[in-house]
Amino acid sequence: MEKIDINKLEEILSEFKDENWPVIPVLQRVQEEFGYIPKETIEPISKALNLFPSQIQGVATFYAQFYLSPKGRNLIRVCRGTACHVRGGRTILKLVKKYTNIEEGETTEDLKFSLETVACLGACALSPVIMVNKTYFGKMNPRRVELVLKQCK
Amino acid sequence: MERLKNSMELDNLRKSILEGRDTTKVIVTICGGTGCSAWGSEAVREAFIGEIKKRGLEGKVEIKKTGCHGFCERGPVVVILPQEIFYQQMVPDDVSEVITETIINNNIIGRLLYSDPITGRKCIYDYEVPFYKKQMRIVLGDNGRIDPTDISDYIARDGYKALEKVLGQMSPDEVIETVENSGLRGRGGAGFPTGKKWRFTKQASNNEKYIICNADEGDPGAFMDRSVLEGNPHSVIEGMIIAAYAIGAKVGYIYVRAEYPLAVNHLRIAISEATGLGLLGKNILNSGFDFEIRIKEGAGAFVCGEETGLIASIEGRRGMPRSRPPFPANSGLDGKPTNINNVETFANIRSIILKGAEWYSNLGTQGSKGTKIFSLTGRINNTGLVEVPMGATLREIIFDIGGGIPKGRKFKAVQMGGPSGGCIPARYLDLPIDYESLKAVGSMMGSGGMIVMDENTCMVDLARFFLNFTQSESCGKCTPCRLGTKQMLEILTRITKGEGREGDIEMLLKIAMVVKDTALCGLGQTCPNPVLSTINNFRNEYEAHIIEKKCPAAVCDALVISPCQHTCPVGVDIPNYIAYIADGKYYEAVELIRERNPFPAICGRICHHPCELKCRRGELDEPLSIRALKRFVADWYFKHITDAPEPFPVTKDERVAIIGAGPAGLSCAYFLRKMGYRVTVFEALPVGGGMLGVAIPDFRLPKEILQKEIEYIVQRGVEIKYNTPLNINFTIDDLRKEGYSAIFIAAGSQKSQEIGIPGEVDGLEGLYYGLRFLRDIKIGKTVKIGKRVAAIGGGNTAMDVARTALRLGAHEVNVFYRRTREEMPVTQLEYKEALEEGVNFNFLVSPTRIVSKDWRVKGLECIRMTLGEVDESGRRRPISIEGSEFFIEADTVIPSVGQAPDLSFLPPDSKFERARWGALEVDKNTLSTNIPVIFAGGDFVTGPTNIIEAIAAGKRGSIAINKYLQGDTSRVEIRDEKKEILHKFSGQDAEEIEFKPRLKVPVIPPEERKKGFDEIEIGFSEEKAKEEAKRCLRCDMER
Repeated sequence: MEKIDINKLEEILSEFKDENWPVIPVLQRVQEEFGYIPKETIEPISKALNLFPSQIQGVATFYAQFYLSPKGRNLIRVCRGTACHVRGGRTILKLVKKYTNIEEGETTEDLKFSLETVACLGACALSPVIMVNKTYFGKMNPRRVELVLKQCK
Repeated sequence: MERLKNSMELDNLRKSILEGRDTTKVIVTICGGTGCSAWGSEAVREAFIGEIKKRGLEGKVEIKKTGCHGFCERGPVVVILPQEIFYQQMVPDDVSEVITETIINNNIIGRLLYSDPITGRKCIYDYEVPFYKKQMRIVLGDNGRIDPTDISDYIARDGYKALEKVLGQMSPDEVIETVENSGLRGRGGAGFPTGKKWRFTKQASNNEKYIICNADEGDPGAFMDRSVLEGNPHSVIEGMIIAAYAIGAKVGYIYVRAEYPLAVNHLRIAISEATGLGLLGKNILNSGFDFEIRIKEGAGAFVCGEETGLIASIEGRRGMPRSRPPFPANSGLDGKPTNINNVETFANIRSIILKGAEWYSNLGTQGSKGTKIFSLTGRINNTGLVEVPMGATLREIIFDIGGGIPKGRKFKAVQMGGPSGGCIPARYLDLPIDYESLKAVGSMMGSGGMIVMDENTCMVDLARFFLNFTQSESCGKCTPCRLGTKQMLEILTRITKGEGREGDIEMLLKIAMVVKDTALCGLGQTCPNPVLSTINNFRNEYEAHIIEKKCPAAVCDALVISPCQHTCPVGVDIPNYIAYIADGKYYEAVELIRERNPFPAICGRICHHPCELKCRRGELDEPLSIRALKRFVADWYFKHITDAPEPFPVTKDERVAIIGAGPAGLSCAYFLRKMGYRVTVFEALPVGGGMLGVAIPDFRLPKEILQKEIEYIVQRGVEIKYNTPLNINFTIDDLRKEGYSAIFIAAGSQKSQEIGIPGEVDGLEGLYYGLRFLRDIKIGKTVKIGKRVAAIGGGNTAMDVARTALRLGAHEVNVFYRRTREEMPVTQLEYKEALEEGVNFNFLVSPTRIVSKDWRVKGLECIRMTLGEVDESGRRRPISIEGSEFFIEADTVIPSVGQAPDLSFLPPDSKFERARWGALEVDKNTLSTNIPVIFAGGDFVTGPTNIIEAIAAGKRGSIAINKYLQGDTSRVEIRDEKKEILHKFSGQDAEEIEFKPRLKVPVIPPEERKKGFDEIEIGFSEEKAKEEAKRCLRCDMER
């Protein structure tokens, strides 16, 4: 695993010096910076916030948003909300898995793709929906799945 | 802009914004909501900017990016001001034309307007569009008009005027009183009265208090909060400031989902703009009141929508709920009194303050006031956000606003309240929606998600889906929720896998009740609702999965190989025979069909093809023409294979007697013979085929086709004795004495039913009954009919009667049906053909008397009907309209309202158990009567159905009889079988699939048709059949 730049972490921690209840915002910033929550950051964070490492770890594992391992360059989120489900979201997930050759929660070895399912992306009018990084792709069908994923670098 | 020192300065600012605006200036507003963005609205916006620059129109035309208009289905939505022209589904290529035509030349481009799918009328303005017509957009109204990132837009539309009023003229208690009197209830789901909540927090003794806006919209299928935050963030902020003033809070938090980056962004801009103007911060508008708002981004946990979980999350802990009391109103964030409201609740406040509590409380129902936003999604034509007054009915929302169900499918249920709610079946369509009414039918308001489901949604799978969600979102703190959801999920999963056991439904109900009663928080207490409501309303689907291993919606993976095959009542391996056709292996295709259905040529003509409704290709463009392909290949067989097939070998000693040579009887005979039994069919008439032989007119099913298929069955070794009715001289006991080991009664349902109205006298000249009429024509009798024929009824018989009458030379044929087209059990094709031929349909009309003179029919007295509430059959009950009586002349009246089985051949003292309506009572699984050796099936037991159901009954009967004769007491299970997978054919790889509608089946033109009884459908040519067969997506290969 590559080394993480601990100076960056110091910077982040100082940003939140005066914030009330900073645990989640700090973790969000750490993840934004490193792409995930590196194991090595847990202790420095806990020290700075005056909490036990277990408390930080507890928060990091509770919320679906936090990752404890590196993610791919393209984070594919397949919506598994009800509206998408009713309009064939399951088949879309199947096709994405087939294309990327990974299961939910996994990342490809070349770090090109990570695959996640989300309870609802809140874009139900476009169902079935997938999201690649910050872009929504609606009204998916087998053909569009392939088109969208082909574009990913 | 400078900080506003008092309310007068705010007023002046508003005035100067308005004065500075040129109301004649062209403003192009482009929806920037998530829906339209995904449709490409940003590209449209850029195209406008580029084009305006290119033409030097800068300064003359303004571009504005607004929030969500709600009509997400039709994005990107563009509204051109000042005329308010509503363009939809725009693409960048349209932009140049819009500028030239609409903006410069003032012409409207028809192509970009919304056209009403029913009337075909083009709508120029949004309020003409049916989607908007019935809405009342108090909260959403400004969404599409303002730029959410520009506070002056909001101020210009009376923004912060309510705040001005509150700070200047109202005491905190007056504010709370107003909100209380308005009757506003929490829009987050539970519906707690908002004013009351505010009062509790105000009364709590502590100087430090908090306001929280719950924007953790996590309910799958709900996105109204997102739309409000993205499109009109100031309305939420203004509501929060007013609430803070009322309860005495100085700090507010907005807890917003991290999945909503645009909402977060717009909120940040709005807060900073409001702070800049002094609408947030210290001494707001010189009132001495301080208030600031902070944003907390969630981190992806559904349970954080629960208020105590949410507070824990803001405080940086795991978002686990705690038991209440103390309620947050007394001890919330940081242990201080905290008032939590939902986004939509806050967004309602400004209107209540400005227009008054009375105005607001006049909207809605007794217990639920105001409007509610629903997000309409799922299997519905117009997806989007809908705001209606409380008390609107589901029918209004789903059909009038939502435009109904796509692809001609039937509405099945709507899921409301997300994973905490329940499904509401069709019989409650006319239910006025409010908090209480939804609770009464086992659902809940929730945040207002409304997911529409049609017949292709499996309710067991849906319940499993929700449990899967709640099980993974359960925080695990309390045992009932942590373990209960897991257990329920396990049971549901095994049911959907076809491994359900007897008692599973009862076990689910038991666990559900325990979890409901004992879980700690709202998530746990409500998560059993989807299970309970689907069991309550769709128990038969659970039973089909558990007992018959069938998924009626053809969804559940483990049970379904392909939806078409699964939906076919006899389970024909459709994908493979279609593949054979594509490969030109026609003989193999027919043999494959005959494994499950001995009547390919007949079903290829008159089957109502439920398979096509479930065809996966239909999701892409149009379903395959499965029926027409079957017809092609069956016709090929009879044309090319002239050698008679060998009889099936007899391998068993027992003999079986079948009563009735209709499709049920003959299928049963065919399959039993195939199993090695000797079979004799006893038929009362001189012809075989049952209804096929005596009722279906030649123009739909030629006699020769029927003859060929019966002949085939005889060639395979089945003996048919015609002209051999059962009666007093030849009874069932006689059959048993003759040595038949089992008897299958399939005597059909051929007794015409009377309508039961005055004047319906037997022997009247010009009065016929549908079935008798069709039979007489079919066997070649001359039937005299008049010029004006009235057929009564809405089923297949009435349809055949009407079309036959036209062919016999009637000048005018009227069909009278007391319901509407929607309730008619005939296929769209048949209906269309009848219309083309000139049949007049009179819907919602019921005859009340047959008028006659000198024993001759003169006409009908009728009354008009309207549809009332939904009855048990799921259809709306027709109710007569007083005073709408009318008379219509007719010289021939043909009632065709239904048929019943004729049991007169059974001795009256026989020991048969009868069903309530007079037919025989049989076991649904084995079709056995209460007398061991005797089985019965088909229309004789069920009343008139479809040919394919009759064949299925025959097939089931054959399996049951075989089991009985072999001493096997297990249940009959007819599972889909998977043959070896045929190779793919070209055109089936994902990248190659192109939009390609189904090929039309050629027919004779209507004028030609009416001249005689020639078959009207011509059928596919070989080339067309192959082409159509190649459209198959082979979804069976995924399994």
